[in-house]
Amino acid sequence: MRAWDELVTRCAERRRAEMGGLSDQAFEELLIAVRENPAAFAEAAPERALLVLARALDAYRESRSHDDLLDDEAFEAERARRLEALRAECERALAEDERCLDARLVSLLAADLEPDPLLEGLLSLDREFARELPSGDAWEDVSCRPHLRLRAAVARTCVESSRFRMAQSAALSVMDASPSDPLGARHTHMLACARLEDEPAFDAVLARFSHRESAWSHLARVLLLYKLDRMPAARRALHGLDELCVGGAYALLRPTFVEIYLPDRPEASVCGLAECMMAVREAEPIIADVPDFINWCQGFDWLAASGARFAEKNDLEW
Amino acid sequence: MAHDPRREDYQRLSLRYALELDGDDPFAASRAFATFGRRFAQNRDSLPQSDADRAFHLVTLATEAIDYRLPFATDAQAEELISRGRALLDEALSLDASCWDALRMRSSAQTSSIDERYWFLAGRVDEVQASCEEERERVIEALGGERGTLGATISMRPYWRWLASMAEQALICGRNHDAVAAAERLLASDPRDLSDVRFTLAYALAKLEDEEGLADLRRRYATISPLRAADDAWITLAEVALAHKRCDFSAAREGLSHLLATYPKCGFALIRQSELPDGEFARLRVQPYGEDEIIIAVSEGIVLLQEGSDRSGRGVLGSWVAKAVSELDPTAADEASRISGGEGVTRQ
Repeated sequence: MRAWDELVTRCAERRRAEMGGLSDQAFEELLIAVRENPAAFAEAAPERALLVLARALDAYRESRSHDDLLDDEAFEAERARRLEALRAECERALAEDERCLDARLVSLLAADLEPDPLLEGLLSLDREFARELPSGDAWEDVSCRPHLRLRAAVARTCVESSRFRMAQSAALSVMDASPSDPLGARHTHMLACARLEDEPAFDAVLARFSHRESAWSHLARVLLLYKLDRMPAARRALHGLDELCVGGAYALLRPTFVEIYLPDRPEASVCGLAECMMAVREAEPIIADVPDFINWCQGFDWLAASGARFAEKNDLEW
Repeated sequence: MAHDPRREDYQRLSLRYALELDGDDPFAASRAFATFGRRFAQNRDSLPQSDADRAFHLVTLATEAIDYRLPFATDAQAEELISRGRALLDEALSLDASCWDALRMRSSAQTSSIDERYWFLAGRVDEVQASCEEERERVIEALGGERGTLGATISMRPYWRWLASMAEQALICGRNHDAVAAAERLLASDPRDLSDVRFTLAYALAKLEDEEGLADLRRRYATISPLRAADDAWITLAEVALAHKRCDFSAAREGLSHLLATYPKCGFALIRQSELPDGEFARLRVQPYGEDEIIIAVSEGIVLLQEGSDRSGRGVLGSWVAKAVSELDPTAADEASRISGGEGVTRQ
């Protein structure tokens, strides 16, 4: 979530509405001014709440940069402290504006709940903040973005809690409301298709996004074909994942801890290591449901060699 | 219904015996038949039998050892039972290379992974079908009439058991469409479902979250199993899983209440969720609605229970079921925690 950008847009758009009749050029200048000092422009309650949240998310991300030096126990303690601090900031944001959905969402996610209670919380937020989204691309309306983020989190949590039809429909509702899908709900949808062995739906969603591949699409394809017992095709798909995803083999064979998304996936380059790690983490319940899958992957020497090469080149543990 | 190896052994030899008696005068035949039971029990070798009959008998002995005695054996006994079972199966195959039951049962120890076991079963299923169907035609011609019908059923059973294993194995592998396909293929060949493969089918449909398919299966019970309603632990647990997946917790709880009302000591099994080895010959033959049946259904249901990123390791549905049942049946919850407490002590 680019909280600062959204804050700037919100402040500038409110000003424009208040001033009325602003030319495009004047609006550009207004944007520049707001960007330079968003705090000075955050006058309305929703903006003040978002300001608190933007600062809190910065602090949260900053505090994560020292984790490498901690042992497991210290890491756990630090992580708990960090999430608690973030929740406290969310409360402060909500004191500014109790209808700040992003603060509610981040606070709920940072509670680090089990999948069932988390889903329950998300669905109850969805009911509480229910609103009609505009036609076209709802992402263009900055006030709709929190709703899209919430629905995307619902979809991901459905995968976590093994509710794959529900994951599909939640992800589809995000894609329908925002066809450009900047939140990547399609990735969640593809994973659910793999688990449900639903090849037509997988193909359809890939075609809908002009066959733009991602770490999720590659991984979902391998899982899908493997589950459908089309083994030569699954092997080719695995080969594709290895060839086209940087560190794909490494991420698959050496899954590492991926922090919960607050409130959405961190930005990452397409088919890069970070994306692969996220895809593997999100697919974890699906991978665990095909008990021989990782063994099968490991059986290909070229895959293990590729993972080991990547680890050596990037100074990672193997 | 379920597969009963000893009964099948008896049926095979009685058919063979009847075949040999045909042509004798009817009084002699009925006198001879009167002694069949005693000879079967005490002097089996004196009865006419083919190598295939002998091989099947060895399969029944192996089943006795592996499926029915092994689960209760001590470690020392276990090893002996396993090697005895294997030796019996090997011997069966040396007598009859088409003893599909022996080949199938042996494959579970001979394949190195569940995938390989599945591929082994899937790779030879057509051959097994052709062989069983050929035997069936031969038997119908030789026996005719009612005996022919029984003989035909007996000829097909190894194929049915093969498909039932294949469906179960596919389910465990996470190949749910394949599990459905194997189960449907079996139901097409044996519409009365001697193998109770509809139970496996119910779980596979739940894995695919196929609400319609499961509702349809419930309707099909009337023709598949007219004597047993659609209220067994498998279809109920499959419906509980689907209700939980659509967050309809009250329907899911209702399903659990139904199980608690139908099965004795069911609460304990639903809280413990123990995973047992599957029967190698076929699903173990137990009392319908009995204490053992719910244990088997829960064990096979691990594929549904243990899914999702639940930190307890029990799975999202597994945790929810254990919690909901503890509320519905506090006595069972006490018993379960007492026993796991006790286990903790023994382990130390």
